[in-house]
Amino acid sequence: MIHSIKAFLFYLFFIAVLVACEAPPRTDGANKNLESTEFITTDSVSPDEEYVMITTAINMPMYVNHDQEAFKKWAKKMGVKASILGPSEWDIPAQIATFEQVIPQKPAGFLVNGTDPGIAQVINKAVDAGIPTVVYDSDIPGARQHSFIGSDWYEMGRLQGERMVKILKGKGKVVVMGILGMTNMEAGFQGFLDVIKKYPAMEFIGKYDDKANVELAAKITADLIVAHPDLAGVAGFDGNSGPGIALSVKEANKIGKIKITTVDAEPEHLQLVKEGVIDYLVGQKRELFTQMGAQMLFDMRHKTIAFSKNDAKAGVVPIPKKIITGSIEIDKSNVDLFIK
Amino acid sequence: MIKDRIVTLSATILLLCIVMSFLFPGQFPTVGNFSQIMLNLSIDTIVAVGMMLLMIAGVFDLSVGSIVAFSGGLAGYLMYYHDVNFLVAIAAALSGSLLIGFINGFLITKIGINPMIQTLAMMGVVRGLALMLSGAGIQNFPYEYNYIGQVKILSLQSPIWYMFAIVLIFSYLFKNIAFFRRYYFIGSNEKAAHLSGIEVEKMKLWGFVIVGLLAGIAGILLSSRLGAALSTSGKGLELRVITAVILGGASLAGGQGKIVGAFLGAAFMGIVGNILILSRVSGYWQEIILGIILILAVGIDQLIQKKVA
Amino acid sequence: MKLGLKNIAKSFEVVKALQDVSLEFHEGEVHAICGENGAGKSTLMNILTGNIQPDAGSILLDNQIVTIHNNQQARSLGINIVYQERSLTDGLSVAENIFPLPPTKSFGRINFVQLHQQTKALLQQLEIKEFSPATMVATLSPAQKTLVEIAKALATNPAILLLDEPTASLTDKETTILFSVIRTLKQRGVTVLYISHRMAEIKLIADRVSVLKDGKYQDTLSTNNCTTEDIIRLMVGRDLQQVDVATHSTEEVVLSVKNLCGKGFSDISFDLKKGEIFGLGGLVGAGRTELAMAIFGAIPADGGTILKNGHRIHNNHPKQGIANGIAYLPEERKTLGVFLQKSIAENIVSAQLYGKGYNVKANNQKAGEYAKTLNIRSSSVQQLMSKLSGGNQQKVVLAKWLNTQPDVLIVDEPTHGIDIGAKLEIYKILKQLTADGKSILLISSEMEELLLLSDRISVMREGKIKGILNKKETSENEIIKLAAQ
Repeated sequence: MIHSIKAFLFYLFFIAVLVACEAPPRTDGANKNLESTEFITTDSVSPDEEYVMITTAINMPMYVNHDQEAFKKWAKKMGVKASILGPSEWDIPAQIATFEQVIPQKPAGFLVNGTDPGIAQVINKAVDAGIPTVVYDSDIPGARQHSFIGSDWYEMGRLQGERMVKILKGKGKVVVMGILGMTNMEAGFQGFLDVIKKYPAMEFIGKYDDKANVELAAKITADLIVAHPDLAGVAGFDGNSGPGIALSVKEANKIGKIKITTVDAEPEHLQLVKEGVIDYLVGQKRELFTQMGAQMLFDMRHKTIAFSKNDAKAGVVPIPKKIITGSIEIDKSNVDLFIK
Repeated sequence: MIKDRIVTLSATILLLCIVMSFLFPGQFPTVGNFSQIMLNLSIDTIVAVGMMLLMIAGVFDLSVGSIVAFSGGLAGYLMYYHDVNFLVAIAAALSGSLLIGFINGFLITKIGINPMIQTLAMMGVVRGLALMLSGAGIQNFPYEYNYIGQVKILSLQSPIWYMFAIVLIFSYLFKNIAFFRRYYFIGSNEKAAHLSGIEVEKMKLWGFVIVGLLAGIAGILLSSRLGAALSTSGKGLELRVITAVILGGASLAGGQGKIVGAFLGAAFMGIVGNILILSRVSGYWQEIILGIILILAVGIDQLIQKKVA
Repeated sequence: MKLGLKNIAKSFEVVKALQDVSLEFHEGEVHAICGENGAGKSTLMNILTGNIQPDAGSILLDNQIVTIHNNQQARSLGINIVYQERSLTDGLSVAENIFPLPPTKSFGRINFVQLHQQTKALLQQLEIKEFSPATMVATLSPAQKTLVEIAKALATNPAILLLDEPTASLTDKETTILFSVIRTLKQRGVTVLYISHRMAEIKLIADRVSVLKDGKYQDTLSTNNCTTEDIIRLMVGRDLQQVDVATHSTEEVVLSVKNLCGKGFSDISFDLKKGEIFGLGGLVGAGRTELAMAIFGAIPADGGTILKNGHRIHNNHPKQGIANGIAYLPEERKTLGVFLQKSIAENIVSAQLYGKGYNVKANNQKAGEYAKTLNIRSSSVQQLMSKLSGGNQQKVVLAKWLNTQPDVLIVDEPTHGIDIGAKLEIYKILKQLTADGKSILLISSEMEELLLLSDRISVMREGKIKGILNKKETSENEIIKLAAQ
């Protein structure tokens, strides 16, 4: 008797659990109709209005000096609050955890550094919560953000490739270096390669992973110089590739003999161009990412431009779907104009 | 002493929650915020339960963070590149994690490699394997796989339930089953445990296997919950978990600690992290503050012990 | 220097460790302090070395009141101690251990020449020839380590030296060396405070003996005018009860060891009979502990057979030893016998963590029964082992092994470092066990103990049994002759 009551209670509990289950949406991902999500708008601007930047490696100088600086400046001008959150190291799960904990507080808008395709889900979560969300830097495939603003990495690779061909007069051995496996880097490599392929006298040696580490980039370059004494050009694709490559080229007394093209225009990159070690830089317009990104969030929230009586309800996102900011090209001829 | 730590830590957490509820009335004491905190600490806690087991036995494992990444990476790799059924992929990932634990335990107990050195080396090896498997990250898992970590039961996401289940089960085991009870004796006095008929080495080997399995489960849950196997998963997890376990009453010398302490330690760290996010404090402050808290907790303990002695 | 204590009192929570204790130590005397464990000897030592502060009373040095806040201060006042527990670093040489602050040359480089000269002089003074200043401590025997420990304390030239059970792990020869060192110190005017459980030693080396009981001062006797019984009566407050020495030995053989070989012993054969106490005598390092561990299964045997009740058994792990009805109470209680941070109840069940669930309630109940029958003094069975005195700890370990229901109990130096009261209790327990049909293999370095308890005594030397003596026919001298030769 007691046994059967126990069994009954157990089944009851089991059924209750099953009933209480709430399955995740099956149609998650890009298939979902983008315009179906409503978003929060308001008629007045309040100084408590908070725009939150979610990033990772929050102390990386490039992020601090460009992205965060421009974002803070914008917030000051507009009279709103700017918060910058994220882990101090390159830690995507931690970036996601931070993001998830801020969503319930419903800030006025999210400016999300598109660090890894893995953050797609949490971006969708923010969009579903009705918070205007803009991804910057790298696009996240499969996420339903309201807008993306950033660089076209294929284009950045193509520009480097064309300049490399030009300074090598169409012949010589070249390599590329960056973080292997990252979507944006791989697009950059592809852009570079597509140019090189057209010139039969150009010999492509390979792709190398410097893990965004100066020392590693220097070490790889040094090894390459030994292995290929006739190495003609190296193209870098992350912020630390350039300084690392330049270091080894300098140490091997190969300045001018090995041509270097790379990305980013930090002070040390500019200095190396001035010294003649680096031949060509493709800079990103990072300040634009966050300044314009934040402005789009603001416009979306405050209905600056309206396409209908109620865009949020009508399913119209009143900001651009995608903005490519383009590149800055720097070589010896114009480098002085960039040095502060 | 351990009992005291459970009490003091619970009281501290409660006090922290009350104070924060007054400071952030609309944001902190909400169901949404708390289920988010618990979701975030669930992975840490599951690994911390295993770490507590090892630290009771007087050893620890630095490779758990890498196993978390490896487990999710292996499952993702099999499903994405080889169209393997999700259940088979999970079984493979858990077996792999178990095997890593076994190798750790085998080399430590049979060959005699120091546990710190062995697991430090394994941390690198397994992280490398994880990177090899998941590369820049794998997305687009089968729906069934994502279901495991994303289904909500009573509006709490499943990893939270897994966490509670594991904490409860292991608490029960450590209280009532002689097998698990032996770990206290091993940690308290290994030689005396040997002379009491306890197979110390076999037990330690099992300990590493259990930890590997728990880290593997955590890895599956994390990747399924994120819908992605990230190569950075579990980065720094080992030290975070050891911190939580020590906050929860374990001692580096062994023989001390309770399973629920692992949960409380992780919960405390999760709440502190949440408070810092609510206060809009930057990431690096979290590490500074947690470091100071750890020193305070252990330091105060020492002072009390000195006074008693 | 003259040392005096006046009305010293110290309490730990409700326990009064010392009450109104006044003592006087003359310059250049060897003054023994006796008392059962828990009588307050350790507290007294700790007060003198500054480890703890008294609640009341004062310490007088040459009639000047001094307060001692810590060890360093005690040392600078000329008070130094040799503890029972070792404080040596295995990875360093004898010289470096004796002088933790060695003489240096420029840039803090250690002046090894001078250091070794200093150490050599000190060792010569102590007549120690077995090791040199450069010997690594790790290679020394326990007894040699004690000598290093004493040399270390003497290196600071103390006016007052406290020795806490210094002979606990020393052989007779080493004890003789130690005593001659103590006599040399005495001549130089050093006051020696000597704590020991061994009555014979106290009579031999001490000038006067003070007795403490339950934290209270009893009396100070001159060793010339008192008997051992006088001291024991003051300590335990009762006359030495004669232990039941009747034999319970039968003719039935329980354990038969044949040609057993292993690390540290070889070709060992003997029979252990039901109800018998079989003594195993010999010097420290004769291979007795290794033999016991091999029978129990803690270390592997290389050859030979063990029969139990006529059946061959293979003990490759203590787990099997326990399953085969053998128990082993190890010699080094602190490092091998107890779980100091675990409770009494947990210690008692620690040899039975196989096969079944862990029932806290049942364990506590069982522990309670043992506490009653073995007279384990504690506030409850939940009390941590570290809070118990040595004698009570040993009773807990005994309870742990009795709980495994063994047929054969191997006890290795069961009364090592235990006060006389507890010692007698343990003797009684062992005898009672044989009356209940258990067989005991008793390893002991104390002749009195062996002669009192054993039915037969075998003597081991250099890993071999040199002879098995019938108790009735033997004497202390005969045993020593076989053991040392």
